[in-house]
Amino acid sequence: MRSWNELETGSFFDANARERAVGMVDKGSFTELLGPLDRFMSPHLPVLGTAVEFDDGTVTGVGLIGKHPVFVISMEGKFIGGAIGEVNGAKMVGSIRLALKTAEELKAAHPDDYEERRPMVVISFETGGVRLHEANAGLLAHAEVMDAFQDCRKKLPVVSVVGSKVGCFGGMGFVAAATDVIIMNEQGRIGLTGPEVIEQEMGKEEFDASNKALVYRTTGAKHKYIIGDCNYLVEDKIGAFHAALADVAAKSMEEIEGMRRIGSLKLVQEQQGLVKLVGDMQPKDSMDLWKYYGNEDPAELPEMTTEEFLKVVKRRVRP
Amino acid sequence: MDEMDNTMIGRGRDAIEMIVDEGTFVENKVGDADFDPEYGPGSVVGTAKLEGTTCTVIANDAYAFNERFPVVFGGVIGLEEGYKMATAVYRSMEADADKPLAEKRPLILIVDTPGNGPGKMEEIAGMNKSTGGYQLALAEARKAGHPVIAMVIGRAISGAFLCHGLQADHILALSKDFGTMIHVMPITSISRITKMDIERLEELSKVNPVFAPGVDFFYNLGGVQEIVNKVEDMRPVIAKHVKEVAALKAAGEYEKLGPWGRGLLGDERGGRVNRLKAIAKMNEEFAAVADKYLNA
Repeated sequence: MRSWNELETGSFFDANARERAVGMVDKGSFTELLGPLDRFMSPHLPVLGTAVEFDDGTVTGVGLIGKHPVFVISMEGKFIGGAIGEVNGAKMVGSIRLALKTAEELKAAHPDDYEERRPMVVISFETGGVRLHEANAGLLAHAEVMDAFQDCRKKLPVVSVVGSKVGCFGGMGFVAAATDVIIMNEQGRIGLTGPEVIEQEMGKEEFDASNKALVYRTTGAKHKYIIGDCNYLVEDKIGAFHAALADVAAKSMEEIEGMRRIGSLKLVQEQQGLVKLVGDMQPKDSMDLWKYYGNEDPAELPEMTTEEFLKVVKRRVRP
Repeated sequence: MDEMDNTMIGRGRDAIEMIVDEGTFVENKVGDADFDPEYGPGSVVGTAKLEGTTCTVIANDAYAFNERFPVVFGGVIGLEEGYKMATAVYRSMEADADKPLAEKRPLILIVDTPGNGPGKMEEIAGMNKSTGGYQLALAEARKAGHPVIAMVIGRAISGAFLCHGLQADHILALSKDFGTMIHVMPITSISRITKMDIERLEELSKVNPVFAPGVDFFYNLGGVQEIVNKVEDMRPVIAKHVKEVAALKAAGEYEKLGPWGRGLLGDERGGRVNRLKAIAKMNEEFAAVADKYLNA
């Protein structure tokens, strides 16, 4: 594997799950938990004649950012599209529960400087959701993750990191939405229904899944940033994600709660405002919404570099 | 039994009447909050009594069509529907905020939904937030002491089941004789997407609970607490589970309930025996290095 210094300046998009996990935390601080040497694989894939991975396609472990223990979950899109089954689903849930337990222990052991040691959960999503080969177990694991998120509320930050090839779709699309903070690079995509399924449901005239620009405009990071679903839009460097995570770690839980998009009646009402706008406007394209929020030339936004985009973009103003 | 005569698919509103005390269901009212009857027509929310206890009822309406969001029909949960359901949960918590644990009203979810809204407008606005928002509301209500019981009467499909059902304390389902469907995808779609041979999948689906569709398989995995064999039993069985859940909450046994509790049940019933082993091994490995992270 590349050295940590090389990872920091390297592309996040091109990095595999383990490189992302190692590079998002401080140098030399990452310890993998239930790594490939444990050979804890899916027992369900061989039954269907499918190859296994020794880490079941998800890297889990713990690192540090400053004094903050960071529990990292990093999905590998090259293995069955990063999909979630029984074992890697359990690795996700197990990591979140470890973070909660660690928070309790740190509070007891370091009451005076707990804030600067408060743990964090970071999930690098690269997944289409449920792994069909073990669909029922994967589905149940999604619910366990949502349940564990609610336990973390106002105690420790749960952060989504999205910027890999597969994007973050299916059930994992709402899992990401349910976290406190979302960090993306320009290539990142989050959605519930994948483009092919929308095309199948609505017809090619309404939604052409092979139109990559349209797909990015609908679920890509720039759109998510404009409507307020993405909190940090960063350069495609692992180091840029590391820096954004350090920024989150330094915030108070109150500030972090303020970065959420769902999770309270007030936030639901705010989202209902957006739904009303979309229902009234019946947009044919995300650009209709970008224009509504004050971007006079919406077609130029996808062409811009992240830096240029961040300088000129107008975002949804929260009520 | 001829399942077409008995099926409850599409009969969410009938199910409400069969389950709650006669004539007590008031639609579009939870606590002091009123709901706009035009909003999110694919979902039904309201207040009723079950054996005299005030409860919130949340169901799907398979015959409603949402004119603003035309992908919503046949029980689909769309943008408005998800937020409407979430609001019903928050209003339930609000209504009982000052009441003791024993008086937190139960939430009864009547489940018959084929999916979340799969459209372009849904993705532009972020359907993931609507379904996720409802799930977080249910998790919060469950942890605040409200007994949350899901009764699957028809279709509980994939993400829509995660949205409406899988955050409950206990999940009950009508038996497969009623045509009840719990799955992520039918075998034909699994075969198409995974490119696995359909005959082999069909053979395996008879015995493999982990991927194949079916109420009994979900029971085996701990995903369904109890199977209900007669429609007239829905009412007493739901009432029984409300009491059981309330008793566990009174005893502080939250870990036996909800998604985590279903994991324990899946281990007990032999359907999901790997997840707890994986988690135990992770805990053990972290304990060995914890000092570095606790005293950084």
